[in-house]
Amino acid sequence: MPHKIMLIEDDLPILDMMEILLRRIGYEPILVPDVSDAFNRLKAEQPSLILLDIMMTPMNGWEFLEKLRGEFGMQDIPVILFTASPSVEEKVAELNDKKLGLLQKPVSINELKDGIEKFLGK
Amino acid sequence: MADKVIRLMKHTISQTDIVRLCVITSLAICCTLITALSFSLSIDFISYQLFFIPIIYAAYFYPKRGLLVALMCGVAYQAVGYYYRYPDYGALIEVTSEAILFIIIACLIAYFIEKIRFGETRYRSVFVHSQLGIALFNCRDFTIWQTNEVFPAMLNYPTEEINGMTFSSLCLTTADKEKFLERISKTKTTDNFEIQLATKSGNGFWVNLSWNPIDESTISCTAVNINDRKIAEKLNNENMMRYLQLTENSPTGILIIQGGIIQFTNPSFLIFSGYSKDELRGKILDEFVDSRDRAEYHEYAKHWSKNKYLHEDLEIRFVTKSGGMRFGALTATSIVHLEKPATLINIIDISEKQRLSDKIREDNERRRGVIITVAHELRTPLQPILGYLNLLISDPQGFGIVDETKKILERCLVSVERERQIINQMLELSVLESGKLQLSYSTFSLEPVVKSIVDTGGYHSKAEVTIDIPESVQITADKDRIYSVIDSLLSNAVNYSKPPRIIKIFYRSETNDPQHHISMQDNGIGIEKSVFLSIFEPFQLADAAKLSRRYDRIGLSLSIAKKVVQMHSGDISVESTVNTGSTFTIHIPKEIKNAS
Repeated sequence: MPHKIMLIEDDLPILDMMEILLRRIGYEPILVPDVSDAFNRLKAEQPSLILLDIMMTPMNGWEFLEKLRGEFGMQDIPVILFTASPSVEEKVAELNDKKLGLLQKPVSINELKDGIEKFLGK
Repeated sequence: MADKVIRLMKHTISQTDIVRLCVITSLAICCTLITALSFSLSIDFISYQLFFIPIIYAAYFYPKRGLLVALMCGVAYQAVGYYYRYPDYGALIEVTSEAILFIIIACLIAYFIEKIRFGETRYRSVFVHSQLGIALFNCRDFTIWQTNEVFPAMLNYPTEEINGMTFSSLCLTTADKEKFLERISKTKTTDNFEIQLATKSGNGFWVNLSWNPIDESTISCTAVNINDRKIAEKLNNENMMRYLQLTENSPTGILIIQGGIIQFTNPSFLIFSGYSKDELRGKILDEFVDSRDRAEYHEYAKHWSKNKYLHEDLEIRFVTKSGGMRFGALTATSIVHLEKPATLINIIDISEKQRLSDKIREDNERRRGVIITVAHELRTPLQPILGYLNLLISDPQGFGIVDETKKILERCLVSVERERQIINQMLELSVLESGKLQLSYSTFSLEPVVKSIVDTGGYHSKAEVTIDIPESVQITADKDRIYSVIDSLLSNAVNYSKPPRIIKIFYRSETNDPQHHISMQDNGIGIEKSVFLSIFEPFQLADAAKLSRRYDRIGLSLSIAKKVVQMHSGDISVESTVNTGSTFTIHIPKEIKNAS
């Protein structure tokens, strides 16, 4: 069974491309174009890792992360921030979350693969 | 007319004295003869009273010598009386007592005359020898009839000339004259009346007059010379006026503070604060300082209360009357105000400067915000392009791609990579320019770092690289950033030259040179001298398109490199000859001085 990877991302061209890319590198993508659905889908799908965009409405990536780790108590699920926003490194470092990674868009297929394998292993 | 004086032995005798002496002597002799005759003829109605004539006469003019005359007259009368009346004892006693009466009368006259004379002498002495000018004038027409020597001397008149003039005609101006007439018509007794009189040559002379009537028609007036004082006062006033003009017209706000309380404000400060003079006087300056800056202001005020001159100024916010805010740069100096220590405060309105610098800061922040948003917007669409290209290239057979197509796709990938790099550099430059970046300094050996850059960047395969850096060279800098600087300079050297590429990396510095100099020399296309400075400027080139075409140099790496080295208090310089090559040199200080 391939690992399920949930991609929370409101940009549809990226979503379409990532679906193919994730499959290509051997994962099962779960696409969430609306962050409001994310928690329901989380319960239903039980993914191994979340790829999380930051600039989204009605809830941005940071707020989602806070809710995920706090309210939902999901401290163990690895989250990779998948963003085109600059200067997020500092904030990531501040959070000191061992299960939190960062991939700056645009990421190449190898960067994506390495990024995911860091948490899920080869 | 003055008496002629005759010197006789030790005494001086005037002609008047001689005449009086003759009169007294003749009178005394006549009295003696008449008395002798009346005694001999027993004429009762001629008596001793005759002798009072020479005695009183003598005692009046010469009180002490009058006693002698009385004594001599007494002796003569007694001698005549004894001669004719002896041995009638009753008559003898009578004669003796009458003779004694002469002396008593002479004594009494001498006593009173002396007393009167003494008072008169004292008065004359005051009048003549006084340091003050004294003039006696008529109380109706103010004609001067007598003065001491000082009064005419004050006004440079000869004494005879001033007698007969009217006092009011001595006033300098008509206004002075009216002032004098008004005063004297109101009161016959005045003290400390300051007025300017005219000297003979017509100059003004300040006097302080006091006058009082000494009899029904005469007024005695004393004049004190206050000319020097008045001139000094006038000068002082002129200085004061000059000082006032300076402060009144100064664009700088000026305050005088004593014991924390505002004593003086100039118009500029009134405009600055919006308050009126009266609203500020007696208030404490603290009240007008914005609460956020009050602690800092108190700290500053402590220093000036120690009577120190403060070289540094303090920039604080003031609350104006309308509740607005103004920025002022404040300097304080200890001065003496009204004979007490005070503080002179100058306030320069820097609100406009502050507003501009705030605006520049805001603009920079906004620009940075724009750059961040733009970066996000530029990166997002790159993701599908990069992703699909990766996908196609990773499995050409699966997607039915021939080798030639794959090569084209790979070139697309290079362009995506370049765009990604430009966006990253743009962001990096905006961080550097925001000044928010902190360097993390460490001391490291230069040579191994340069070697590592050359190895990691694969420069050996692209060019013939020689490294001439002594192993002992140690530099103190932000290692990662200096690494990037050297890397991007080497990358440029490779990019802007054609094979066979020769790149020389060398280090130069003397022992007493305060800087390290690390140079990278290439044999590339070179750079025209006219654009030496422009190549370090990000995006701001008038001829950016021309430059980028010629040098393929739209990248921001040089701007970033220069900025990083400047943050180390160093610089990057360039020497170049077109078609021969360029040398870029990094200059970094050996000692760090609070570099940020």
